[in-house]
Amino acid sequence: MPVLELKNIVKNYPDGENINEVLKDISFQVKKGEFAAIMGPSGAGKSTLLTIMGALLSPSSGTVLLNNQDISHFSKKQQTQLRLNEIGFIFQNSDLIPYLKISEQLQFIQKISNKKSTDAIAILKQLGLGHRLSSYPNALSGGEKQRVAIARAFINQPDLILADEPTASLDSKRGREVVQIIQETVHQQNKAAVMVTHDERILDLVDSIWQIEDGKLNKVNK
Amino acid sequence: MYLTLRELRHNKWKFSALGLIIFLIVFLVLFITGLANGLANDSGSAIKETPAETFILQKGSQARLNRSKLTDPDWQKFQNKYHNDVTKLSVAQMTIQKQNNASKKTDIAYFVINKDSFLAPKSVKKTDGNQVYVSRKLESDGYKVGDSFKDSNSGKTFKIAGFTNTESYSHSPVIYLNNQQAQNILPDSKSFNAIALKKNLTKRSGYQVISKQTLINNIPGYSAEQSSLYLMIGFLYLISLFVLAVFFYIINLQKISDFGTLKALGTKTGYLVGHVLTEMGLLSVSGILVSFLVTYLIKLKMPASMPFSLSLTTLLGTGLLFLGIALLSALLSLIKVVKVDPINAIGGNN
Repeated sequence: MPVLELKNIVKNYPDGENINEVLKDISFQVKKGEFAAIMGPSGAGKSTLLTIMGALLSPSSGTVLLNNQDISHFSKKQQTQLRLNEIGFIFQNSDLIPYLKISEQLQFIQKISNKKSTDAIAILKQLGLGHRLSSYPNALSGGEKQRVAIARAFINQPDLILADEPTASLDSKRGREVVQIIQETVHQQNKAAVMVTHDERILDLVDSIWQIEDGKLNKVNK
Repeated sequence: MYLTLRELRHNKWKFSALGLIIFLIVFLVLFITGLANGLANDSGSAIKETPAETFILQKGSQARLNRSKLTDPDWQKFQNKYHNDVTKLSVAQMTIQKQNNASKKTDIAYFVINKDSFLAPKSVKKTDGNQVYVSRKLESDGYKVGDSFKDSNSGKTFKIAGFTNTESYSHSPVIYLNNQQAQNILPDSKSFNAIALKKNLTKRSGYQVISKQTLINNIPGYSAEQSSLYLMIGFLYLISLFVLAVFFYIINLQKISDFGTLKALGTKTGYLVGHVLTEMGLLSVSGILVSFLVTYLIKLKMPASMPFSLSLTTLLGTGLLFLGIALLSALLSLIKVVKVDPINAIGGNN
């Protein structure tokens, strides 16, 4: 059974008098323990697709099933709750909160969530951040920041991990390291993960590859 | 609270600067309020602190004591009706001087009263001959108990029997005289200025009946001072509303992308609104408390020539009003926080 399944997703935006169809009849699925990559040129609808998967945006039509539950018509409040407890986000620029220490970045998520908390310090140590626990984000390198973001995404034990171009602000060596960490964690913890990227050098690390172009999504044979 | 305390800790200097601004504004408001109250007391405390509620003046005297002249037949009418709740009052603004020093003159106000009446301060006791009780304000002009002074106009000499509180009238210290003493000084001792009444009365045909506050408002200079000071205070509130709103807005505008990320991670909007309000509330409360302290210290050090008076009620009231103003200022920022779309976190837009 897939963790996340998209059926016939369409997303329209009004564009002056016309309607701009960003996503055209998209179907997609990702299973437990699977690390999927979505490739595509900029403007192809990658980000829009990710915001729909992440319950940040509702589709114009179609069904989004997360753990077999239809979330496509959730209210804003339900979406917020869902993002907190069921989805882990890794953003392009890591987007850590500047005034929280590294350990607090994770503890805050645990604080606002009603899920049983795991050991945040242990996760950070596992990712090689043991010496950075009481640093602020501005003291960290880009790679370290992205590792904190990964730890933050996994802290709440979500079933689905969504990564938005996690290598965009890193050099190729660090970028590869970061994706490797995501891959290992996904496989170890048996989570489903979707990564939007245009970095072809890391495609050997993922389990399945999808190509999006002009709003249409196709699976690419690996 | 979790986010608030950590953000305050991390951005100590930025928030200290904002707290300093709040402190300075609240302090200025408190200081001017204290001066306004001090001047009000200096202007009318000799009237304000009596238990009288109503004053009866001659018709057409425009609520001014010195324009009113009543005579014995008037007094009889009121005394027959109100007995011990009425008493006569005459006020004369004159000049006194030290007995042997004609160049050192002091402006004073004579209050001609019956020492047993409710207009007399508690410390005024029965005196004989030329002994009088005077306001403690005269102390700053170098007068002591037992000193003698001369009424500059009539040349009559009096001896200070004791001090009352700092009663004053139109910024002059008050000297309490009885009828007999007044006869030697005032040209027309048969008439008097007003009848003070301990009860509430609004109308009596043939007379001008006014409340105590109306009488105080018409003491020369009182309204002009008070209205300009309160205009300043009013503008200070208005200015601080806008200044704080702009500061809060800018500070929160810098954090918009953080708010977007926090929302994307699943933080409720209500939590963020609480965060912003707590932050602004904590800053305001600390600014207000420090200004309370500084105002208190200043009050201890103010010279007698700068009358300053601030009651605890006024102090707390001002503090509360200001806290309200500060939270109102945060409103604009809150709208912005509510409107942040978590979608901004995706696509590296920020």
